[in-house]
Amino acid sequence: MKQGVFMDMLFRNLKYFLKEGFSNLSRNRLMTIASITSVMAAMLILGLFLVIILNVNSLTNQVESQLELKAFLKDNISEQEVSQIGNEIKAIPGVTSVVFESKEEALQKFKQQLGDKSYLAEGLEEDNPLPQSYIVKVKDAGLMKDISNEIKQINGVDKVSYGQDVVDKLLGIIKIVRIVGLSIILILFIISIVIISNTIKLGVFARRREINIMKYIGATDWFIRWPFLIEGVVLGLVGALLSVALLVLIYGYMLDIINNKLIVFQLLPLEKIVGDILLYFSLIGAIIGALGSGFSIKRFLNV
Amino acid sequence: MIKFINVSKRYNKDIIALSNISFEIENGEFVFIVGPSGAGKSTLIKLLLKEEEPTSGSIVINKKDITKLKKREIPYLRRSMGVVFQDFRLLPNKTVFENVAFAMEIVGAHPKEIRRKVPMVLSLVGLSDKAEKYPRQLSGGEQQRVSLARAIVNEPSILIADEPTGNLDPDTSWEIVKLISEINKRGTTVVMATHAKDIVDAMKKRVIALEKGNIVRDEARGVYGYAL
Repeated sequence: MKQGVFMDMLFRNLKYFLKEGFSNLSRNRLMTIASITSVMAAMLILGLFLVIILNVNSLTNQVESQLELKAFLKDNISEQEVSQIGNEIKAIPGVTSVVFESKEEALQKFKQQLGDKSYLAEGLEEDNPLPQSYIVKVKDAGLMKDISNEIKQINGVDKVSYGQDVVDKLLGIIKIVRIVGLSIILILFIISIVIISNTIKLGVFARRREINIMKYIGATDWFIRWPFLIEGVVLGLVGALLSVALLVLIYGYMLDIINNKLIVFQLLPLEKIVGDILLYFSLIGAIIGALGSGFSIKRFLNV
Repeated sequence: MIKFINVSKRYNKDIIALSNISFEIENGEFVFIVGPSGAGKSTLIKLLLKEEEPTSGSIVINKKDITKLKKREIPYLRRSMGVVFQDFRLLPNKTVFENVAFAMEIVGAHPKEIRRKVPMVLSLVGLSDKAEKYPRQLSGGEQQRVSLARAIVNEPSILIADEPTGNLDPDTSWEIVKLISEINKRGTTVVMATHAKDIVDAMKKRVIALEKGNIVRDEARGVYGYAL
């Protein structure tokens, strides 16, 4: 029943709440601009870190998808056994692709790697010392060790190799970057909430007399709260949208510089991140604004 | 009807603002609350508005014991009373019309009803031509008339006036008191806390005199009685 009364009041007075919320914004223009600017600044910093994290994630995925392990097979096994081993490897969970490399192909590759010194490998065709192998790709770099151990157990597999050292080190670095990035985002998120709720508090404080008068002539707490809530949401939302716009500009500029100069690693294209960031920032901005105004007005309702 | 039954109010245990006072005010009465500063007038008004709780005793307004009201019921109690303060307490960012309309918006009145009623009340207090002005553009007396219009627009059964003439010159004070008296004649109970000796003496209404938290006098056609 209480819920019903509540909704009833919202709809009956919606026009008043909206009008009041927006006229508060325009009457206190300086405060409005200050609030929006601080929301924007906080969320811009938040956004920059978010963009860095997104790119580290994408770099991680790129690196992970390039990682492969090689299962060398014994020489003295039949073709049937070879395909049997291939099937067994495919059946291991986490394995995404398995490609066979014959002795001839291995030699071919070896020669390519030697380049203009390929004459060193000449004459090896008759008695090819290179083993046949399976090149295995896995879903997640973290699985490499386990999968390689499993493949070792298969009959006919001589040896498994993946760049253990490199992979382990890379995984360690990526982990640290993620943890540091996420903690910075969390800290900035909290800082944004504090900034915003403080700014709204200033606005509420400036109008404490008004709130007081409203209480005296019989306004309910929710009647007083709604315009401030709307005001807070609008502030948060506008600040968030502006920060997204700025972020897009800055990121576009970074894309130009980095993608032209670095070949190793490409930044995520703009289209790929704008949608998500726009959605999440709008939500976060609105929630922060609502929470901020909710907290700030509480103290002034006790009359 | 307003009824105080053995009401006491203490602040910080040792400061006694009201000490065990009882009185009754009938519907349609006009009552002055008088007394020197610190006698308990403000406390009495604050208790009526449920801005503060009595330490003991009960207060009945329109057959309801308001000391037992829940916090969320307070707004509805205040809507049954119109209030006028010494400092007018108008919303500075709203026009005269909007200030009065606001009291109706709060109770969820229909816009049509608001457009009909506000001009009526404004003409009653003689401010029809000032409807679009802001409070800062008005004189003190005019502001108090706006605040009176706001207090009565929802037709409350009780009008509470806390030193309504405290900031006004004698002539203007009289205009306000005449208006309040007019409102009283239409059937509204009036409780007016005041320092204005001339007004109390001339009006010959019931006077409740407070001193150090006690009722020292309650006369049907009383006078101010202090040599202030």
